[in-house]
Amino acid sequence: MSQTHSEPDRGSVPPPTPRWVKVFGIIVIVLVLLIGIMIVTGVGGEHGPGRHAPPTLPTELSTQQP
Amino acid sequence: MTMTPGLRKFALTVHLTFSVGWIGAVVAYLALVFTAITRQDAQTLRTAWIAMEWTGWFAIVPLALASLLTGLVMSLGTKWGLFRHYWVLVSLVLTTVATAVLLQHMQTVTFFAGVARETTLSSADIDGLRGGLRGELLHAGVGLLVLLVIQVMNVYKPVGMTPYGWRKQHEQRMARATETTR
Repeated sequence: MSQTHSEPDRGSVPPPTPRWVKVFGIIVIVLVLLIGIMIVTGVGGEHGPGRHAPPTLPTELSTQQP
Repeated sequence: MTMTPGLRKFALTVHLTFSVGWIGAVVAYLALVFTAITRQDAQTLRTAWIAMEWTGWFAIVPLALASLLTGLVMSLGTKWGLFRHYWVLVSLVLTTVATAVLLQHMQTVTFFAGVARETTLSSADIDGLRGGLRGELLHAGVGLLVLLVIQVMNVYKPVGMTPYGWRKQHEQRMARATETTR
């Protein structure tokens, strides 16, 4: 935050949203949707330690994890 | 609430130290994950999980919280503001999300480190510890990527003012113009 640069003066009209913000927003929305779909459909498996733990550990998982 | 130049430089130094330190701590964490993945012996696996827990709680988490806090101070104490420029806003959102995911994920790391500390481990336990490393690679890898994006954004400061920032700037200009015409 040490450098400064001025915004172009566009008079009394608010500047349009920059292209990099739009591209960034689209990427984030796609990633969030993908993660959401994976969680809802269970494609990615259970989230947390239970996802990787062997079936012999369910008691520990259910008692130690909130 | 703008800081003096000397104070601003000091605050920037502190913020950069914590932010870059956060990245370095995640790289160290990934080194532990890679070591545990590539080595086959159980002792290395157990030690790596315990070291990952300590690195997480005593280095990554404090650095993340300090980076978030000093970032807020830098934004509010300089002309950049918190909601005026897209790059500041995006950095804030990414840092907040990264910190929240980190705090949530550390519960999982603590669980696995607890398993690794047990005196006797079955082969199923070892398999569980080994399987958990995939999640570590994913979380730490994506986390590092997010931190690098924030870092690049903070250095390059891509141009773009939010509608709120533009309105504030417009109000200030109008106020200055009114003063000079008096």
